[in-house]
Amino acid sequence: MNDQFLNGLRREPAPAFARQLKSRLHALDGPAVTEARSPMWRWLATAASVAALALAFTFPAVRTAAEAFLDYFRVVNFAGVAFDPQRMAQLWSSSSVDLSTLIGQQVTPAAPPSPPVAYSTVDEASAAAQMPLHAPSWMAPGFTLSSIEVRGEHEFSVQGNTEKLQSVLDALGITDVSVPTALDGQTVSIQIPPVARLVYGDGHDQITLTQSRSPVIALPAGVDVASLAEIGLRLLGLDRAEAYRLAQSVDWRSTLLVPVPATTATFHQVEVQSGTGLEIEIGGAFNGARGGSLVLWSNDNVVYALGGPVRATDALQIAQSVQ
Amino acid sequence: MTPETDLPAEILSQSAAAAPDWDAVYAEQLPKVYNFFRYRLRDDSVAEDLTATTFEKAWRSRESYRRDVAGFATWLLAIARNVATDHLRGRRVHAPLEDAEAVRASGTPEEDNARESDGERLRALLAQLPDRERELISLKYGAGATNRAIAKLTGLSESNVGTIVHRVVEALRRDW
Repeated sequence: MNDQFLNGLRREPAPAFARQLKSRLHALDGPAVTEARSPMWRWLATAASVAALALAFTFPAVRTAAEAFLDYFRVVNFAGVAFDPQRMAQLWSSSSVDLSTLIGQQVTPAAPPSPPVAYSTVDEASAAAQMPLHAPSWMAPGFTLSSIEVRGEHEFSVQGNTEKLQSVLDALGITDVSVPTALDGQTVSIQIPPVARLVYGDGHDQITLTQSRSPVIALPAGVDVASLAEIGLRLLGLDRAEAYRLAQSVDWRSTLLVPVPATTATFHQVEVQSGTGLEIEIGGAFNGARGGSLVLWSNDNVVYALGGPVRATDALQIAQSVQ
Repeated sequence: MTPETDLPAEILSQSAAAAPDWDAVYAEQLPKVYNFFRYRLRDDSVAEDLTATTFEKAWRSRESYRRDVAGFATWLLAIARNVATDHLRGRRVHAPLEDAEAVRASGTPEEDNARESDGERLRALLAQLPDRERELISLKYGAGATNRAIAKLTGLSESNVGTIVHRVVEALRRDW
């Protein structure tokens, strides 16, 4: 193919332009960001807020259920649980129960969440987040840091109501589960520390690294967490045996269970920064969301979620490079 | 054929062993990005502005590519594509069709005149191409990117890139 004529537009940049630009670039160089490690690990470590934020970008349809479900648990490790979204949809479409409204009626905001605030530097955002923010040293080609935002600390409490929860189960036709009576009238207090998001964009898509110290959840004494978890799993559409098996086998004091729609995503455990994390790969469109990957992990007292429309290998590589 | 986007071995070997020589990377990549914009747009001064914008966007994060300088080159072109797209999106409605300024050249006056003439002819031909095809030609002949790199940047398959480029080149050659 004779294409020599197509080289006719190539020119060397003007030397003066090259020099001036080089000088401007070097002027951009500032001191590297140094980040100290978080000194302590709050006892009740849950990635609920982190995971929920990340899930919002990938699994919008299960966000509500995930938030409602996950906030009751604390985590050092992550585990996936596959559920059938069609089965869940059938379950919920057969009743007039509005989970969001129902939960909303039981939630009392002690310190309502403030809107996220944008910051221009990681240092400023770290100060706002009250923790040193960590950033990836490697990013997918074409993506650059486009925004940093921090949502302030907030706090709310959830009032247990056995009767209401039982009525939900009844309305959904789940008659083989009993709500623990110890829950009735009890209050679960949840304090969510600041949550920071580093957003990397390429002009079209976004990769988001969300990080936070753990929320602090005060559970009333005597609450059977495994029983509550079993109820949550049933609300996701799992059958009785599977819900029971999972509820009994998971260490709820250290594990965050992340619902994954089985029809559109796969998940597996991965090693992230010498710890164990969860990688979720979304194969294609799901209720308007694009395919992509999500990695959840905790390290050095911070819980992370890295998600975006990238391949699982790239997502993991980004996660591994967070420092 | 044009030079490839891949960085020379000495820069790559440096990157594997130690911190890359970013000045060398800059010297290597600047003409590629600049010429991408020259092929992509009609205005040399705009090409300089957008080249500067591209490098400024990338420069702060270049240390992310300490161990992958080749990745930095691809990343730089990805940023350049977006910068061009943003620019075209912003001015497409009112951009004059004949806004090309004189082509810079160096050589004898006769050589310069000939190059300017060919350059303007080529610019005029490129201006008639659909946007996607002009972008592919800009990446291929302006930035000197490989079909593989273009495929990675555009989401097209490598064979599709080759097919489209071949077809466009043949069409341009007929009109040349």
